[in-house]
Order: sequence, then structure tokens, then C-alpha cells
Amino acid sequence: MTALMSARGLTRTLAIEPPVTLVRDIDLDVSPGRFHAVIGPSGCGKSSLLYLLGLLDRPTSGNVEYRGADTNSLDGDERAQLRLEQFGFVFQFHFLLPEFTALENVVMPIRRLGRLSGSEMAERALNVLDSLDLADQAGKTPDRMSGGERQRVAIARALANDPALILGDEPTGNLDSENSARVVKIFQRLAHEQGRAVVCVTHDPSVAAAADVRIHMLDGAIERIE
Amino acid sequence: MLPMFARSALILAIASRHLAKRKRQTAVAIAGVGIGVGFFLAVSAMMIGSQNDFIERLINAAPHIIISDEIRSPRPQPAVRAFPGTIVEVHGLKTRNEVRGLKDWQEIAQAAAAVPGAVVAPSLSGAVTLRVGGREEPLGIIGVDPQVEEKIENVQENLSAGSLHNLETSQGGVIIGEELAQQLGVSMGDTVGATSAAGTRSLKIVGLFARGRGQFGNNGYVLLREAQSLTAQPFVINRIGVSIPDPYQAQMVAADLESRFGYKAQSWQERSADFMTLMLTRNVIMYSVVSAMLLVASFGIYTVVSTSVVDKRRDIAILRSIGFSQSDLQRIFVAEGAMLAVLGVLAGWLLGTLLMQVLGSLQFPILGRVEHLPLDRSARQFAIAGAASLTAAIIAAWLPARKAARVDPVDILRGAA
Repeated sequence: MTALMSARGLTRTLAIEPPVTLVRDIDLDVSPGRFHAVIGPSGCGKSSLLYLLGLLDRPTSGNVEYRGADTNSLDGDERAQLRLEQFGFVFQFHFLLPEFTALENVVMPIRRLGRLSGSEMAERALNVLDSLDLADQAGKTPDRMSGGERQRVAIARALANDPALILGDEPTGNLDSENSARVVKIFQRLAHEQGRAVVCVTHDPSVAAAADVRIHMLDGAIERIE
Repeated sequence: MLPMFARSALILAIASRHLAKRKRQTAVAIAGVGIGVGFFLAVSAMMIGSQNDFIERLINAAPHIIISDEIRSPRPQPAVRAFPGTIVEVHGLKTRNEVRGLKDWQEIAQAAAAVPGAVVAPSLSGAVTLRVGGREEPLGIIGVDPQVEEKIENVQENLSAGSLHNLETSQGGVIIGEELAQQLGVSMGDTVGATSAAGTRSLKIVGLFARGRGQFGNNGYVLLREAQSLTAQPFVINRIGVSIPDPYQAQMVAADLESRFGYKAQSWQERSADFMTLMLTRNVIMYSVVSAMLLVASFGIYTVVSTSVVDKRRDIAILRSIGFSQSDLQRIFVAEGAMLAVLGVLAGWLLGTLLMQVLGSLQFPILGRVEHLPLDRSARQFAIAGAASLTAAIIAAWLPARKAARVDPVDILRGAA
């Protein structure tokens, strides 16, 4: 199977005094239909790697190829467009916009992409919410939802534009075990049933156990992949 | 839906939600702009209104252009004219006594009348001494044709008694100022003696100018032929008043007439040059004060937008991760400033209109007449206030909005995790 995304010699160094290397010489392939977990101790560079893969940060050296194309040559707007169309992010904190309802939060990336009509947008967002058992939350603002509901709305937002790659940064970090298990199930479904590539940075052993590929990191480098 | 339109609508939706969440700050910023705009409108309505009123008085008080039998510089000597540019110097010139009056005045009048819509009024001014009983008062007299004169000067408006047309209906009629009439102890219908080089005639008072009417009160108006015979200058004209449809063309027309005929042609602008300078100063002061007001109002917008940028750093980060570009983020916060300004301008227009209503309803009794403040309510001032506020607001919002665009999502996401 060809990789959806592959990193080669990825290194990120902060230009402070003394320089700090967050990630060093990473080679990694991300495959569609598979659930990848990035695990390792705090400060080992897991999140930094995820931001590089998500094109939120630029590597000091090395590159990330997406569908065989180099991403280093893309400018900020092109990277933003790629994130909009192809990537979905889920963070530890839900980061829902507090002024908007669940439905409006999910519609936001669809509106930004601007390819559907108003009613098609709402229909698509409602379908995504429904697939995560959130149809009854559509009209609520984030402050009136539980932690688990918010995180699932955040996942719904990540799925809004039907992305090929889901990037999770400790997505279960703020959830109880029941909600964590639910999120893990969702991620598995996204990979196995819908054929998306899922990359999830986590401390949570249950998430790691559910993954197809476990990438162990230590001191900014990949220790082993299993 | 067009993607560009959808994106603008989305940006406006996010900006308006941000503002709706911080009602108090939003209200204060809108009030700041509104008060600035409102008072600008009220002040400028008074300033421009009084200026227009004043200029209108200046324009209408006398003909727009007055051609008189004076020359600003002596005519060049024939020898100089014959050899232009060569060294011809003439010393010890003695000017010949010329008959006063405008030579070929019909030709000048025709040239002036060639301006479309122009009204041309030839007249003769001179001086007489009025005598009643033992009292004597000097008086400048102006001989006019009432039919034409009323078209170029507001004579009738400045009369407290009688009418300009009384000159035509009564033999030897004269219109003088109330002050002079009081000094001489005469009133309407009385007869006064007028002494001049040509002898003494008696004149009948057929009209009185109201007090405080400047040049009207200082002169006496008689029929043109009356003036010609009083001053023993038959058929002579020494002044041509010209009124034109666009008073602001006066300077140009005057310069043209003067260059063609050599006689001094004075426009109303030239006559009131000192007042015009004063008006300019007033305008400079007004626009300085107003700019300061708008600047202060834009500080409010700067504060709201820059607080919003700081508060919304997390939202900025997530929007960036979703796929919003840097310029999208910048536009969101510029839109916040622009929305505040638009609402503020609308509030200001309302406030300004209300203030003008109040100012317009004030009554000032002056010399027995009820005067209202002259107010200029033209749409131009509303447009200026709106455009200036919007520009100031967009600049004020753009400064913090640049920061929003520069927020590095990684810094925020890492910190919040």
C-alpha cells in the first residue's frame, strides 16, 4: 500500500540560545486505513512531530510529502488550503468556538471551503454530527455540553470536509475512561471502515493498544515502530 | 454560492459573534464613534451654515463684480507700447485731466452681458450734501435703474420703509439710511435739500434703509438720470455692477473684463478677501478639532479589537489549523473594527440629526427680529464624517489585526495542551 504521507529526515530545531532540537531525523510513512499512535514520554517531541505532519509548523530540514508531492514548497495559503481540504485536527482541548453552536462549529470548515450551498452545508454537518450520536446537540453552544460531547463535536468538525488524514493530539487527554473508549472506537472506525489515515499522539495506553501502528519516540527521534 | 462571497459572509459572521459576546466594550466603542460623528455634524453644520450665510450676504449685498472708472496702473505710454521690450523710459510724466466716468461704457456693458445669464446695471455714484434746516450731512449717492438694480442687489430686503420702485413713481425721490434720517430729523415723505456742484435741488424721501445694513445705510439711492443731473455729468456712467448666475466665477470674469478694458473690475471675493481668509482659518480649526475627535474615537476601536485579538488567541489557532489563512484571520479582526465604525457612524448620523433639530429650533431675537442659527444640513458632511470614521476605524483595527494574522498556532496549541 502506498503511503498517504511520508516524512523523510524531518528535523525541527528552535533557533533559541542554546538551540533546542524538538524532532530529529524522522522517517515515517502514514498509510490510509490505518490507525497510528505516536507514544513516548512527555517532551519527547510527539506533538512537535504532529504539527510538522499537519503542516502547522515547518521543518528545519527534511520534508513531508503528501500524496507524493513535496509540501516544503507550498506557501502559507496553499498549506492552509491543504489542511482545509485534506486534514482534520483533534486536540486535547476541544477548541470549539464558544460563540457558535455545535452545528455552526461543524459547518465552519465547510463554509470556509465554500463548495456547497447553504442547505447542503447544514445537511452535511448534521450527517457528521449524527454519525457521532450528536444530532441532539446541534443547537447547543459548547458551554452547555459535557466534556465528552464537546470532544466528539470537535471530531465532527475535523471530519466536516471529509479529510483523508486525521491528526489527533492527546484527543482523550481530558476525557474519562468511558468517553475515551468512545473516541478510540470512533478513530478505529475512521481508519478501518472509512479508509482514512489516523495519526494520534497519546499518553493513554488504551489508545496505543487500539492502534494498528505504534510509533515509539524518545528525545525527538523514533525509537521503534511496531 | 460563490466561494468569495461565502468566505466574506463567514468572516463577518465570526466578527459579529465576537462583538456580540462583548456587549459593553462594543457599546462603548460604538458610542465613541457615534458621539464623535454626531458632534462633528452639529459643529460643521453651524460652521458651514454660518459661513454660507455670511458668504451669501457678501455675495448678494452688492453686485458680484463692480467695474469702476479707476485704473489700477497707469496706461503704458504710446512710446512704450510702440517698442515693446526695448529701452524706452519716460520721465516726468504729467497726467492729463480726464473726464471722469467709464468711456465706452456701453461696450463694457455688452461684454459683461455676454456671460450667459449675467445682469448688468450701469450706475453713477457721486456726492452731495443734504441740508435740512440748519443741519448738513454729506451723502454718497448712487444713481440706478430700479428695474435692473433690484436684480443685482438686495435693496428691497434692506429697506425698513418704502420701496425701490418709489424712485420711479415720485419725482426727485431718494432712499437714505434710518440713522441719517434721524440725524437730520426727517422721515418718509419729507423733503431735503441736496447741494452739489450743479446747484441745489430738493429731494423727497421715498424709502429708508434699516439700521446696521452696512453700505446701504451710508449711501443714498436716486434714479440714474437724477444722479447725472445732480452731479452735472449727463450721460456719464462711472460704475457698472454685474451679477452672474455662478457667483464663484466672479473672479475670473472680473479679471477678463479688466484685462480687456483696463478699468478696475472688482469681484466680491476681492472685496472680501480678508473675510475669506478668516473663513479659511475657521475651516482649518474645525477640521483639526474634528480629526482629533475621530482619532480619539478610533482609539476605542483599537482597544476593542486588540483585546479581542488577545482573548481569541485559541480561536485563532484552531481556525488556522482548520485551514483558515493568515489573511482570513486578519480580515476577521478588521471586520470587527469596520462593523463598530459602521454602527458608530449610523448612531452618529442619528445623533447629529437630533442635535441639528435642537440647534435649528433655538431662537435668537436680534434687533427685534427672530433669527435662527444658519445650519448646513448637506449630505456632504454626513458622507465626510462617515468616510473619515470608517477609514480611521479600519486603520485602528488593522494594527491589532496584523497581530492576529501573525499568531503562531503551534505556540498556542502546545501551550494549551
